[in-house]
Amino acid sequence: MRALRKLVLGETWTLPLGVLATLALALILHELAGDTAWWRHAGGFVLLACVLAVLAASLAPAWRRRER
Amino acid sequence: MTAFLLTLIGAALAVGLELLEAMAIVLAVGSTRRPRDAVIGALGAVALLALAVVVVGPLVLARLPLEPLQVVIGTALLLFGLEWLRKGVLRLAGARAPSNSLQEYLDEREAMEALPPPEPGRPDWPARVVAGKGVLLEGLEVVLIVAALGAGPQGLAPAVAGAAVAVVFVIGLGLVLHRPLARLPESHLKYAVGIVLSCFGVFFLGEGLGVDWPGGDAALLYLALVLVAAAQAQVTAISARHAQVPA
Repeated sequence: MRALRKLVLGETWTLPLGVLATLALALILHELAGDTAWWRHAGGFVLLACVLAVLAASLAPAWRRRER
Repeated sequence: MTAFLLTLIGAALAVGLELLEAMAIVLAVGSTRRPRDAVIGALGAVALLALAVVVVGPLVLARLPLEPLQVVIGTALLLFGLEWLRKGVLRLAGARAPSNSLQEYLDEREAMEALPPPEPGRPDWPARVVAGKGVLLEGLEVVLIVAALGAGPQGLAPAVAGAAVAVVFVIGLGLVLHRPLARLPESHLKYAVGIVLSCFGVFFLGEGLGVDWPGGDAALLYLALVLVAAAQAQVTAISARHAQVPA
Protein backbone atom coordinates (compact mmCIF):
# COMPACT_ATOMS: atom_id res chain seq x y z
CA MET A 1 0.00 0.00 0.00
CA ARG A 2 2.86 2.35 0.84
CA ALA A 3 4.41 1.71 -2.57
CA LEU A 4 1.07 2.34 -4.28
CA ARG A 5 0.52 5.59 -2.38
CA LYS A 6 4.03 6.69 -3.34
CA LEU A 7 3.30 5.76 -6.96
CA VAL A 8 0.09 7.82 -7.18
CA LEU A 9 0.75 10.70 -4.77
CA GLY A 10 4.54 10.83 -4.90
CA GLU A 11 7.02 11.30 -2.06
CA THR A 12 5.65 14.54 -0.64
CA TRP A 13 2.21 15.76 0.38
CA THR A 14 2.94 19.24 -1.04
CA LEU A 15 2.39 18.18 -4.64
CA PRO A 16 -0.93 16.31 -4.29
CA LEU A 17 -2.31 19.00 -1.96
CA GLY A 18 -1.07 21.75 -4.27
CA VAL A 19 -2.59 20.10 -7.34
CA LEU A 20 -5.85 19.64 -5.44
CA ALA A 21 -5.85 23.30 -4.38
CA THR A 22 -5.15 24.35 -7.99
CA LEU A 23 -8.05 22.22 -9.19
CA ALA A 24 -10.39 23.63 -6.52
CA LEU A 25 -9.38 27.22 -7.31
CA ALA A 26 -9.80 26.61 -11.06
CA LEU A 27 -13.27 25.10 -10.56
CA ILE A 28 -14.35 28.05 -8.39
CA LEU A 29 -13.02 30.64 -10.87
CA HIS A 30 -14.62 28.72 -13.75
CA GLU A 31 -17.99 28.81 -11.95
CA LEU A 32 -17.65 32.49 -11.02
CA ALA A 33 -16.58 33.46 -14.54
CA GLY A 34 -19.58 31.76 -16.15
CA ASP A 35 -19.70 32.72 -19.82
CA THR A 36 -17.46 35.75 -19.53
CA ALA A 37 -14.47 35.92 -21.86
CA TRP A 38 -11.75 36.52 -19.27
CA TRP A 39 -11.63 32.90 -18.08
CA ARG A 40 -11.63 31.48 -21.63
CA HIS A 41 -8.72 33.72 -22.61
CA ALA A 42 -6.74 34.05 -19.37
CA GLY A 43 -7.80 31.05 -17.28
CA GLY A 44 -5.05 28.85 -18.72
CA PHE A 45 -2.38 31.29 -17.56
CA VAL A 46 -3.92 31.38 -14.08
CA LEU A 47 -3.63 27.58 -14.04
CA LEU A 48 -0.03 27.75 -15.25
CA ALA A 49 0.85 30.26 -12.51
CA CYS A 50 -0.72 27.97 -9.88
CA VAL A 51 1.24 24.97 -11.19
CA LEU A 52 4.51 26.93 -11.08
CA ALA A 53 3.72 27.96 -7.50
CA VAL A 54 3.03 24.32 -6.56
CA LEU A 55 6.35 23.24 -8.11
CA ALA A 56 8.20 25.97 -6.22
CA ALA A 57 6.48 25.00 -2.95
CA SER A 58 7.41 21.33 -3.44
CA LEU A 59 11.06 22.34 -3.87
CA ALA A 60 11.11 24.63 -0.82
CA PRO A 61 12.45 21.91 1.54
CA ALA A 62 15.59 21.68 -0.64
CA TRP A 63 16.19 25.38 0.08
CA ARG A 64 15.50 25.06 3.81
CA ARG A 65 17.80 22.04 4.22
CA ARG A 66 20.69 24.02 2.81
CA GLU A 67 20.12 26.94 5.17
CA ARG A 68 20.96 24.84 8.21
CA MET B 1 0.96 17.83 -35.18
CA THR B 2 2.58 19.44 -32.10
CA ALA B 3 0.30 17.49 -29.76
CA PHE B 4 0.91 14.26 -31.72
CA LEU B 5 4.70 14.58 -31.57
CA LEU B 6 4.80 15.66 -27.92
CA THR B 7 2.48 12.80 -26.95
CA LEU B 8 4.65 10.32 -28.85
CA ILE B 9 7.88 11.61 -27.30
CA GLY B 10 6.36 11.86 -23.82
CA ALA B 11 4.91 8.34 -23.94
CA ALA B 12 8.13 6.87 -25.37
CA LEU B 13 10.32 8.46 -22.68
CA ALA B 14 7.99 7.72 -19.76
CA VAL B 15 7.33 4.12 -20.80
CA GLY B 16 10.99 3.51 -21.67
CA LEU B 17 12.23 4.74 -18.30
CA GLU B 18 9.63 2.80 -16.33
CA LEU B 19 10.34 -0.38 -18.31
CA LEU B 20 14.04 0.11 -17.72
CA GLU B 21 13.45 0.14 -13.96
CA ALA B 22 11.19 -2.92 -14.17
CA MET B 23 13.75 -4.74 -16.31
CA ALA B 24 16.53 -3.93 -13.82
CA ILE B 25 14.50 -5.62 -11.07
CA VAL B 26 13.59 -8.71 -13.15
CA LEU B 27 17.18 -9.13 -14.36
CA ALA B 28 18.51 -8.80 -10.82
CA VAL B 29 16.08 -11.45 -9.57
CA GLY B 30 16.73 -13.72 -12.57
CA SER B 31 20.50 -13.54 -12.24
CA THR B 32 20.60 -14.23 -8.48
CA ARG B 33 17.71 -16.75 -8.24
CA ARG B 34 16.22 -19.01 -10.92
CA PRO B 35 15.45 -17.02 -14.13
CA ARG B 36 12.26 -19.08 -14.59
CA ASP B 37 10.78 -17.79 -11.31
CA ALA B 38 11.65 -14.19 -12.18
CA VAL B 39 9.86 -14.60 -15.53
CA ILE B 40 6.82 -16.24 -13.88
CA GLY B 41 6.58 -13.33 -11.40
CA ALA B 42 6.90 -10.78 -14.21
CA LEU B 43 4.29 -12.56 -16.36
CA GLY B 44 1.85 -12.65 -13.42
CA ALA B 45 2.26 -8.89 -13.09
CA VAL B 46 1.74 -8.41 -16.84
CA ALA B 47 -1.55 -10.34 -16.59
CA LEU B 48 -2.72 -8.03 -13.77
CA LEU B 49 -1.66 -5.01 -15.83
CA ALA B 50 -3.68 -6.27 -18.80
CA LEU B 51 -6.69 -6.32 -16.47
CA ALA B 52 -5.88 -2.76 -15.39
CA VAL B 53 -5.76 -1.68 -19.07
CA VAL B 54 -9.27 -3.09 -19.61
CA VAL B 55 -10.59 -1.34 -16.48
CA VAL B 56 -8.89 2.03 -17.07
CA GLY B 57 -9.53 2.14 -20.82
CA PRO B 58 -12.92 0.92 -22.02
CA LEU B 59 -14.65 0.72 -18.64
CA VAL B 60 -13.64 4.06 -17.08
CA LEU B 61 -12.20 6.49 -19.64
CA ALA B 62 -14.57 5.61 -22.50
CA ARG B 63 -17.65 6.30 -20.36
CA LEU B 64 -16.76 9.79 -19.18
CA PRO B 65 -17.87 12.84 -21.20
CA LEU B 66 -14.95 14.75 -22.81
CA GLU B 67 -14.67 17.79 -20.51
CA PRO B 68 -14.78 15.99 -17.12
CA LEU B 69 -12.42 13.42 -18.64
CA GLN B 70 -9.95 16.17 -19.57
CA VAL B 71 -10.12 17.52 -16.00
CA VAL B 72 -9.44 14.04 -14.55
CA ILE B 73 -6.64 13.33 -17.03
CA GLY B 74 -5.10 16.79 -16.59
CA THR B 75 -5.07 16.36 -12.81
CA ALA B 76 -3.53 12.87 -13.08
CA LEU B 77 -0.86 14.10 -15.50
CA LEU B 78 -0.03 17.00 -13.17
CA LEU B 79 0.33 14.61 -10.23
CA PHE B 80 2.76 12.40 -12.17
CA GLY B 81 4.48 15.16 -14.15
CA LEU B 82 5.19 17.51 -11.26
CA GLU B 83 6.59 14.64 -9.18
CA TRP B 84 8.95 13.63 -12.01
CA LEU B 85 9.88 17.29 -12.50
CA ARG B 86 10.48 17.90 -8.77
CA LYS B 87 12.82 14.91 -8.57
CA GLY B 88 14.45 15.93 -11.87
CA VAL B 89 15.19 19.45 -10.57
CA LEU B 90 16.64 18.07 -7.33
CA ARG B 91 18.84 15.59 -9.23
CA LEU B 92 20.13 18.17 -11.72
CA ALA B 93 20.80 20.57 -8.84
CA GLY B 94 22.81 17.91 -7.02
CA ALA B 95 20.37 17.80 -4.09
CA ARG B 96 19.41 14.19 -4.79
CA ALA B 97 21.30 11.15 -6.05
CA PRO B 98 21.11 10.79 -9.85
CA SER B 99 18.60 8.28 -11.22
CA ASN B 100 20.45 5.09 -12.07
CA SER B 101 18.84 1.80 -13.14
CA LEU B 102 22.23 0.08 -13.01
CA GLN B 103 22.54 0.98 -9.31
CA GLU B 104 18.96 -0.24 -8.79
CA TYR B 105 19.93 -3.53 -10.46
CA LEU B 106 22.98 -3.91 -8.21
CA ASP B 107 21.00 -3.03 -5.05
CA GLU B 108 18.28 -5.52 -5.96
CA ARG B 109 20.90 -8.22 -6.60
CA GLU B 110 22.42 -7.58 -3.20
CA ALA B 111 19.01 -7.83 -1.52
CA MET B 112 18.20 -11.12 -3.31
CA GLU B 113 21.59 -12.62 -2.47
CA ALA B 114 20.85 -12.03 1.23
CA LEU B 115 17.85 -14.39 1.02
CA PRO B 116 18.21 -18.15 1.56
CA PRO B 117 18.63 -20.01 -1.76
CA PRO B 118 15.52 -21.58 -3.33
CA GLU B 119 14.83 -25.25 -2.60
CA PRO B 120 15.31 -27.49 -5.68
CA GLY B 121 12.05 -28.51 -7.38
CA ARG B 122 9.92 -26.03 -5.37
CA PRO B 123 8.58 -22.65 -6.50
CA ASP B 124 10.76 -19.72 -5.44
CA TRP B 125 8.05 -17.42 -4.08
CA PRO B 126 10.34 -14.60 -2.87
CA ALA B 127 11.80 -14.30 -6.39
CA ARG B 128 8.34 -14.39 -8.00
CA VAL B 129 6.92 -11.78 -5.61
CA VAL B 130 9.88 -9.37 -5.95
CA ALA B 131 9.92 -9.60 -9.77
CA GLY B 132 6.10 -9.38 -9.94
CA LYS B 133 5.88 -6.40 -7.58
CA GLY B 134 8.57 -4.52 -9.52
CA VAL B 135 6.85 -5.05 -12.86
CA LEU B 136 3.40 -4.31 -11.40
CA LEU B 137 4.31 -0.99 -9.80
CA GLU B 138 6.35 0.31 -12.74
CA GLY B 139 3.79 -1.08 -15.21
CA LEU B 140 0.86 0.54 -13.42
CA GLU B 141 2.47 3.94 -13.90
CA VAL B 142 2.98 3.08 -17.59
CA VAL B 143 -0.71 2.15 -17.95
CA LEU B 144 -1.89 5.35 -16.27
CA ILE B 145 0.46 7.63 -18.24
CA VAL B 146 -0.33 6.05 -21.63
CA ALA B 147 -4.08 6.08 -20.89
CA ALA B 148 -3.88 9.73 -19.78
CA LEU B 149 -1.84 10.85 -22.80
CA GLY B 150 -4.05 8.77 -25.11
CA ALA B 151 -7.22 10.41 -23.81
CA GLY B 152 -6.29 13.66 -25.57
CA PRO B 153 -7.88 14.91 -28.82
CA GLN B 154 -5.23 13.14 -30.93
CA GLY B 155 -6.35 9.77 -29.55
CA LEU B 156 -4.42 6.72 -28.44
CA ALA B 157 -2.30 6.36 -31.61
CA PRO B 158 0.72 8.56 -30.68
CA ALA B 159 0.76 7.34 -27.06
CA VAL B 160 0.65 3.68 -28.12
CA ALA B 161 3.23 4.30 -30.88
CA GLY B 162 5.53 5.98 -28.35
CA ALA B 163 5.04 3.09 -25.91
CA ALA B 164 5.81 0.57 -28.68
CA VAL B 165 9.04 2.41 -29.59
CA ALA B 166 10.02 2.32 -25.91
CA VAL B 167 9.29 -1.41 -25.56
CA VAL B 168 11.45 -2.23 -28.61
CA PHE B 169 14.23 0.05 -27.34
CA VAL B 170 14.25 -1.36 -23.81
CA ILE B 171 14.16 -4.98 -25.01
CA GLY B 172 17.04 -4.18 -27.38
CA LEU B 173 18.92 -2.61 -24.51
CA GLY B 174 18.23 -5.65 -22.34
CA LEU B 175 19.94 -7.85 -24.92
CA VAL B 176 23.20 -5.90 -24.80
CA LEU B 177 22.85 -4.84 -21.20
CA HIS B 178 25.20 -3.42 -18.59
CA ARG B 179 27.30 -0.70 -20.12
CA PRO B 180 24.50 1.06 -22.09
CA LEU B 181 22.45 1.13 -18.88
CA ALA B 182 25.24 2.92 -17.05
CA ARG B 183 25.62 5.51 -19.82
CA LEU B 184 21.95 6.53 -20.12
CA PRO B 185 21.37 10.10 -18.91
CA GLU B 186 18.40 8.94 -16.82
CA SER B 187 18.15 12.05 -14.65
CA HIS B 188 17.89 14.32 -17.71
CA LEU B 189 15.39 12.00 -19.42
CA LYS B 190 13.17 11.91 -16.32
CA TYR B 191 13.34 15.70 -16.08
CA ALA B 192 12.17 15.88 -19.73
CA VAL B 193 9.29 13.47 -19.01
CA GLY B 194 8.29 15.70 -16.07
CA ILE B 195 8.16 18.72 -18.40
CA VAL B 196 6.10 16.88 -21.06
CA LEU B 197 3.60 15.34 -18.59
CA SER B 198 3.19 18.62 -16.68
CA CYS B 199 2.60 20.69 -19.81
CA PHE B 200 -0.03 18.18 -21.03
CA GLY B 201 -1.54 18.29 -17.52
CA VAL B 202 -1.96 22.10 -17.57
CA PHE B 203 -3.20 21.97 -21.18
CA PHE B 204 -5.88 19.28 -20.58
CA LEU B 205 -7.00 20.78 -17.27
CA GLY B 206 -7.47 24.13 -19.02
CA GLU B 207 -9.36 22.58 -21.93
CA GLY B 208 -11.60 20.63 -19.55
CA LEU B 209 -12.46 23.87 -17.75
CA GLY B 210 -13.38 25.76 -20.92
CA VAL B 211 -10.08 27.58 -21.59
CA ASP B 212 -9.29 28.57 -25.20
CA TRP B 213 -5.51 28.26 -25.40
CA PRO B 214 -4.06 30.92 -27.70
CA GLY B 215 -2.53 29.08 -30.67
CA GLY B 216 -4.48 25.84 -30.03
CA ASP B 217 -2.19 22.78 -29.78
CA ALA B 218 0.85 25.05 -30.21
CA ALA B 219 0.15 26.18 -26.64
CA LEU B 220 1.90 22.96 -25.58
CA LEU B 221 5.16 24.45 -26.86
CA TYR B 222 5.00 27.69 -24.90
CA LEU B 223 3.71 25.86 -21.82
CA ALA B 224 6.74 23.55 -22.07
CA LEU B 225 9.08 26.53 -22.51
CA VAL B 226 7.68 28.29 -19.42
CA LEU B 227 7.99 25.08 -17.37
CA VAL B 228 11.58 24.54 -18.57
CA ALA B 229 12.46 28.16 -17.69
CA ALA B 230 10.93 27.85 -14.20
CA ALA B 231 12.52 24.45 -13.55
CA GLN B 232 15.95 25.61 -14.78
CA ALA B 233 15.73 28.67 -12.53
CA GLN B 234 15.12 26.31 -9.59
CA VAL B 235 18.02 24.04 -10.65
CA THR B 236 20.37 27.04 -10.84
CA ALA B 237 19.23 28.51 -7.52
CA ILE B 238 19.30 25.22 -5.58
CA SER B 239 22.69 24.18 -6.96
CA ALA B 240 24.09 27.65 -6.16
CA ARG B 241 22.89 27.23 -2.58
CA HIS B 242 24.59 23.81 -2.48
CA ALA B 243 27.81 25.42 -3.64
CA GLN B 244 27.57 28.10 -0.92
CA VAL B 245 26.78 25.75 1.99
CA PRO B 246 28.45 22.33 1.76
CA ALA B 247 26.20 19.44 2.86
